[in-house]
Amino acid sequence: MAAPTHEQLKTLEQSRQRLVQLTRSLASLITSLNQSDPLPSWSSLQSQASIISNNLLSVSDHLSDNRDLLTSLVAYPGPDYPGRTQANTLEQLLRTKLDPRVEDWVARGRKAGVSALEDRSGLAEAELAELWDWAPVEANQEARRRNWGGNYTLEEREMGVQNVVTGLARVLEDEGSESEEEDEEEGEDDEMEIVGVRRQSAGAGFEFDIAPASAAQHHQQKTVEPAVPLEDILRFMTTGAEPGKR
Amino acid sequence: MHELLLFASVPAHQHHELLQQLAGLTAMQPRHRLERRLIFKAYRKPGLINTRVGASQDLQGNEMQRLNKMLNGGMFYTQVVGSVSEADFGAQLSTAPSGDPDAPMSGTDSGAKFENRPYSYESQPWKLEFRDIPEAGTRSAVTTRLMASASLPRGDITTPMNAWGYSFVTEYVVEGDVFILNDIVIFLHRVLHYPAESPGSHEPRRQLPPFQQMTPLEKTGSYVLQASIAVQDGGNQEMMKTASQHLFGLREQLKSAVRLEQADRLSLDTRAK
Repeated sequence: MAAPTHEQLKTLEQSRQRLVQLTRSLASLITSLNQSDPLPSWSSLQSQASIISNNLLSVSDHLSDNRDLLTSLVAYPGPDYPGRTQANTLEQLLRTKLDPRVEDWVARGRKAGVSALEDRSGLAEAELAELWDWAPVEANQEARRRNWGGNYTLEEREMGVQNVVTGLARVLEDEGSESEEEDEEEGEDDEMEIVGVRRQSAGAGFEFDIAPASAAQHHQQKTVEPAVPLEDILRFMTTGAEPGKR
Repeated sequence: MHELLLFASVPAHQHHELLQQLAGLTAMQPRHRLERRLIFKAYRKPGLINTRVGASQDLQGNEMQRLNKMLNGGMFYTQVVGSVSEADFGAQLSTAPSGDPDAPMSGTDSGAKFENRPYSYESQPWKLEFRDIPEAGTRSAVTTRLMASASLPRGDITTPMNAWGYSFVTEYVVEGDVFILNDIVIFLHRVLHYPAESPGSHEPRRQLPPFQQMTPLEKTGSYVLQASIAVQDGGNQEMMKTASQHLFGLREQLKSAVRLEQADRLSLDTRAK
């Protein structure tokens, strides 16, 4: 077994550098989580996470690039190593089995990796890319074929607007068919309530100016300002003192 | 825990619209919430006040005074809150035909408890909510107050509360919707009275009347909008500042719809005099 060459030493040195960087960025994330108050903003957390993932990537690239060398390297103490005084360090250096804690992590990581690989029910990468290439163009074309500006599509209107399931609690107005109805309604109201004002034309802008009389009344009834001031309500809520009786 | 608050009064006609606006702003559907709130008031236990008899100058004086202060110093109104659902209201309608309206009150109804009875006072969970009077002299334009909450045993709550020196004052129901926007809890609510307040009864109701019979405290049916942030460490000026800035942000966003304001400090006075 020959001593490692200069090249090989450099590779080892590089692995050390990258691992040091990784531990540093992990430590900085941990300190920022532990110490900063309020918690760091999500954007800084995200950038830290991406730094860590870059570090991980570079470590893993480096390790797999130099796989041949790193698997064939063996560490052993030289004759001049102070084995008696530095026994602890020596044990650490010669240890080939992982720390039990680390072993657990590794097992967990492998398991997660396997389950991630098993999840193949979705589309493959290429298929996804293809889908995304296709979708925007197609959606755009579909959109251009339609006449926008209403609440209903032409198909829906032909089928009958009342059959459309909108999923909304309020009733959507359908401008197309509604204008005639409203005009009629409006006309009656005009005649009953406002004698002087006549419909100038089939006036579309006009119909919004005069609300039906019933609606106006209703509206008036509804816009009653609260009679009990906020302070009294809060006072009642805290002490049960009836408003007005203090 | 500290609580930072802003309030606004919302007229009834604006309620629906505001619900929609809030749903859009917070990107969530409103969570409907119905709560029974019981108000308790601390009272002085007889025999505790007259400890300072004569001009005794013994060494115990100081300690005695401190003890006295602790026992009698801060007396507050406290709320006991229990959440209920709309199905709980009008429960006695289903039990009344049985011809035994007292059944739920007696202790012998353990068998009946497992029937499909909508509301059972015995198993109503309660939460104690203590709120201090809002801090005075803060230059910030939000209401800040000390708060603490604790879970209480289920069922009849007056006995333990009495044992702790609190007497039942009144109760009402709060009805409203909750939204969450980041760290802000938005509660759009109003107070409902029970029908036909019978003056003699001085303990919480064991059954709830039909929901339709509940009348709003505010006759026009207006709502109160409350935006609150709870801060764990009230001593942390930085956090308090951030929280109030978040509230101001919300006030700015809702400016065109409602005017969120600091509440009158004395209207939230929980001290019992």
